[in-house]
Amino acid sequence: MTQSLSLNRGLIELPIRFIEWWALGGCCVLAVVVVMATISSVTGFLFATPFPGDFELTQMLVAVAAFMFLPYCQLTFAHVSADIFTSKASDNVVRLLSRAGSLLAISFSLLLVSRTYAGLLDYQIYLETTTILQIPIWYAFVPAIFSLALWTVAAVITLIFPEKTVNSPIHEALGEHD
Amino acid sequence: MEHELVIGLAGLACLIILIALRIPIAFGMIMVGGIGVTALNGPAIFLSQLKDLTYIQFSIYDLSVIPMFVLMGNLASRAGLSQELFRAANAWLGWARGGVAMSAIVACAGFGAVCGSSLATASTMGKVALPELEKYKYQPSLATGTLAAGGVLGILIPPSVVLVIYAILVEANIVTMFMAAFVPGIIAVILFLITIMIYVRVFPNSGPARDRIGRDQFWQATFGVLPVLLIFGCVIGGIFFGVFNPTPAAAVGVFLVGGYAFIRGRMSMLDLKFAGLDTAKTTGMIFLILLGAEMLKIFMARGGVPQALAEILGGSGLEPMMIMIFLLLGLIVLGCLMDSLSMILLAIPFFWPVIIDLDFGMNTEDLKIWFGILALIVVELGLITPPVGMNVFVISAMAKNVPMATIFKGVTPFFASEIVRVILILMFPGLVLWLPSLLGG
Repeated sequence: MTQSLSLNRGLIELPIRFIEWWALGGCCVLAVVVVMATISSVTGFLFATPFPGDFELTQMLVAVAAFMFLPYCQLTFAHVSADIFTSKASDNVVRLLSRAGSLLAISFSLLLVSRTYAGLLDYQIYLETTTILQIPIWYAFVPAIFSLALWTVAAVITLIFPEKTVNSPIHEALGEHD
Repeated sequence: MEHELVIGLAGLACLIILIALRIPIAFGMIMVGGIGVTALNGPAIFLSQLKDLTYIQFSIYDLSVIPMFVLMGNLASRAGLSQELFRAANAWLGWARGGVAMSAIVACAGFGAVCGSSLATASTMGKVALPELEKYKYQPSLATGTLAAGGVLGILIPPSVVLVIYAILVEANIVTMFMAAFVPGIIAVILFLITIMIYVRVFPNSGPARDRIGRDQFWQATFGVLPVLLIFGCVIGGIFFGVFNPTPAAAVGVFLVGGYAFIRGRMSMLDLKFAGLDTAKTTGMIFLILLGAEMLKIFMARGGVPQALAEILGGSGLEPMMIMIFLLLGLIVLGCLMDSLSMILLAIPFFWPVIIDLDFGMNTEDLKIWFGILALIVVELGLITPPVGMNVFVISAMAKNVPMATIFKGVTPFFASEIVRVILILMFPGLVLWLPSLLGG
């Protein structure tokens, strides 16, 4: 019994860790934007030769990074809610409401996965590209759709282990930091 | 009443219920917005919009400054910039009665200049300044009240995330908004300093001066803060004088703060990882709530709710200034119940159409700026008022021996000075509009 439980924990820990790494990957995308924008603004300031297309690359990469952050936000209950009206509610009630939120997230992320995929196909057919660098926009949709699917996974995990879960594997896997 | 308006109002009621039931505000907005548009126009339009609505929202260029500012703030919190700021401020002001508290205010303002979050400002400065205030036996209510109030300075001193969001909502120029926020930010600092001076005069033993320091210590502290001032100068000066756009400016800021932390050996890999993960959380949260706000806006606009509100208030025969005060009071009350970001996203789409129809004797662009600054000041007041004064909670978690009621009491004089600031800006819009017109924003 204990063994099967710890095996289950191991199984649940894997996606949790992956989602954390995926968010850190998003940070790396952001870091690329930081370096690019810094170099571009310095060369633009000194030699009046900014990096061509930095504007549209920033747009695209920041959007991709934001998508990559969504699963981690779900997992860590980072989405703000107003808890003033339920501050006196019991843990059971809070767990129930947290589960309702996860259900919403599951249905919405699934809808977005399918719609964004349809969007990807549209962008492929009409081959829309960015203005200067001519990068096909659908490229950005690939990590976006994967991130949205991962959001569904995260929401399933938070459905099983809602807020106020005692010994939640989410906490155990991610650790606490201030 | 028209059919659309009824659906719109019903949607709004549903949203309020969902929010009260602790459903994340972004989810509530998305659901109500989606179902509402479907109810009004059928599913086809909504489903087709959804194909790229998220991508289009996430890739708005003006938004790209937000993750940069968030990252810069998170790096600054972990890089120990707060120590340098407080040490320097204390060297300059600590000799006066109440001087250590004044130093905390100045340091909070300085930290607000590299970090756009009030909570982060309160918690970071709290960690540095609270032990000093305790060491000099400051009255607990003054010590904790100062730190909780000092946090709100962050919102008007660029970089401020909420300011960017407001600018995007009403389609104002971000750079102009930053310029407009500068003078009110300075006014807040001055008013807070005056508040402390009055406080220590009324309660003579509440805030003693610190011990004398040597000349070398003074200069050491002063030189120590120069890198921080330099970073701020590069980012904000660069934006103000048109050297670069906000996003590259913020990127340079991230680079400089990161580099500074690295050179001073203050940033471990673990720190870097957590700064990244905190950025992921905040950015994801903000972007999703923006998506929700956009969906809600589409729904509400089709339902005609903002227009109806504008007509009711506009046709009420009230003076424009009365309506303005009425809306600001509404924001103060709502700000007590919700965080400032959600508040701005929820309320501004309704309030702005009301304001734009009123005659305050200024053009629309100026009105945008003036109203925005006022709105940002008042929603932030919710951070230091009961029942959910988040800044007070943050300080309370640090000062375990001080009861919450004492902190709220300590915040009261600062709250009063904030009201003075709002009245000043209401009476003299020039305080807000002067710098943008000078720098030609």
